[in-house]
Amino acid sequence: MELKVQKYEKISFLGEGQFALVYKARNIENEEIVAVKKIKVGSREEARDGINRTALREIKLLQELSHENVLGLLDVFGHKSNVSLVFEFVDTDLEVIIKDTKIVLTPANIKSYILQTLKGLEYLHINWIMHRDLKPNNLLVNSAGILKVGDFGLAKFFGSPTRINTHQVVTRWYRAPELLFGARHYATGVDIWAVGCILAELLLRVPFLPGDSDLNQLDKIFGVFGTPNEDSWPGVKLLPDYIQFKPTVPIPLQEIFTAAGDDLIELAESMLSLYPLKRCTTTQALKMPYFSNRPPPTIGSKLPLPTNLQKTDEEPSRPSLKRKMLELVENNIPGKKRLQF
Amino acid sequence: MEEGCPRCKTTKYRNPSLKLMVNICGHTLCENCVELLFVKGANSCPECNIPLRRNNYRVQLFDPMVEKELDIRRRILRDFNKKEEDFPTLEEYNEYLEEIEVIIFNLCNNIDILETNKKIEQYKKENRDQIIRNKQRMGKDEVELEIILEQEKEMAEMRKKEIENLEELSKKKKTIEKEKLIDELMFSSENAQSILQTYASKAEEEKKEQELAPPPPKVSKFSSGVKFSSSFQQNYLPIPKVEEGPLYKYEEPEVVFNGPAVPALDEIEARKYTNHIRTESPAEKAGGFQSKISCLRALQEAMQGLYPF
Repeated sequence: MELKVQKYEKISFLGEGQFALVYKARNIENEEIVAVKKIKVGSREEARDGINRTALREIKLLQELSHENVLGLLDVFGHKSNVSLVFEFVDTDLEVIIKDTKIVLTPANIKSYILQTLKGLEYLHINWIMHRDLKPNNLLVNSAGILKVGDFGLAKFFGSPTRINTHQVVTRWYRAPELLFGARHYATGVDIWAVGCILAELLLRVPFLPGDSDLNQLDKIFGVFGTPNEDSWPGVKLLPDYIQFKPTVPIPLQEIFTAAGDDLIELAESMLSLYPLKRCTTTQALKMPYFSNRPPPTIGSKLPLPTNLQKTDEEPSRPSLKRKMLELVENNIPGKKRLQF
Repeated sequence: MEEGCPRCKTTKYRNPSLKLMVNICGHTLCENCVELLFVKGANSCPECNIPLRRNNYRVQLFDPMVEKELDIRRRILRDFNKKEEDFPTLEEYNEYLEEIEVIIFNLCNNIDILETNKKIEQYKKENRDQIIRNKQRMGKDEVELEIILEQEKEMAEMRKKEIENLEELSKKKKTIEKEKLIDELMFSSENAQSILQTYASKAEEEKKEQELAPPPPKVSKFSSGVKFSSSFQQNYLPIPKVEEGPLYKYEEPEVVFNGPAVPALDEIEARKYTNHIRTESPAEKAGGFQSKISCLRALQEAMQGLYPF
């Protein structure tokens, strides 16, 4: 094997997570801009075990996948005791877009983001993978407006009748009620709930259910959707960590999302159903009238970008540039021309 | 093949929480049997009668043969611990590694055990000093690992120090300002009231400045550093021009399956496929688990790739 380390040239430091450092880099061979995720060694005990577990999950799952709305793993290489994953470079994420007060999100924009999220998620679910960590921060958006589901550090296969899963997954604000009640057997419903929360956050521009503890999270959920009972959620009392809450009456979603149309409320209600088996699947969601109704989803290149990424109109030959953009979108390569750093 | 305990014949199917353990001779036992047989601490392996102790059993992660090899390898490498640096040429080092592999292979497959054990003893005797010395010394790889760990620690510390420095700087600035104010009040001929006022307004300005600059921990939350102004704009932003694309129509995603068609999810129940498998418990169902989904996955995995490419 050639030394792959030399194939990539570091450009800048992008950020640090719990398990990894992320760098922006250039592939020397074809000038492609990539993101290199260098997995931390962590501690000596972990190093002795071999490779970090989250990294292993990511490599194992991502190598098999290829979809426009799923972040593509381009390469993996090891150097000394470190392992690095090479991803296509993506400029921003949904959290930045939601928090940028200079951006107006139109109903068509929101439809486009949710549509792309669900398309990526449908692909994952068809391939028996649940993501288990969906949140705006993990929905990456490139400068061509293509949304990509990223960060597979918690992703896992589902559908095994014997394998037990941990319920300590998903960032709390996007965690489904069955996980908060400690369910060890669950399925794709946890991802759908998270997408529902993200949809709500796109509408409200603030986190929908920002609980500050697991208990408070349940309190917030039931504050909106009412407390479940044996009729609305059969078997809820049998879940390992079930606790009785003071009964509350559900608030109609129409009163929370005052500006949303009926078709959107229908989608939100079916994604945010307390009983996991009543929640829609990705395919059912995509077939709902909300997506086929007017307004049509904004096409990628027309989606708003955060202020620091906005395109400048300096290029003289605009029509040809537009064509190039479309080609780039089709080839799924992040548009290099548009990056202004 | 169904995994199970050779002694009590329990299988993973009958007892999902069955925990298989493996000993140094490569024979498995379930956890319950281990507890039962080794109550007094020592007993012999029910398969090959080797005397064993409770702590010879470990939770089985791999195939029993692999576990056995791992165990032997660990034991052998404890004594055969020479490093590349101990050999004058790479060739000799490779030969040494080859020899280790031969020994491990022989022990795993019960070939010439007596002969091999003799060889190990001899090696131990000849190299006693060096074995002990090498146990203290770290190899090249470990040194490298140590360096990387050190670097990671340093980076974290550097970042911490930077934040501390910033805090200290602002603290110092404050005390200097205070001293200046007192000095001026003591020695200046101006009106005390006006001096106080100028300082108060100055302090306020600085406060504003600090507010304008976003605090450092908040910045780190933004993955691509969007600047946000603290002075919240009251006037509404213009609504972007609406340029409509085509309406969305659902399209079935293409799945390369390469095998005979599998019944759809609702067919699985209707055609009684689920009769042959464990039904989900009410608690599992409440968590969103359905055995028909497992059934579909099993069917799909069985059929997938049956057709040639």
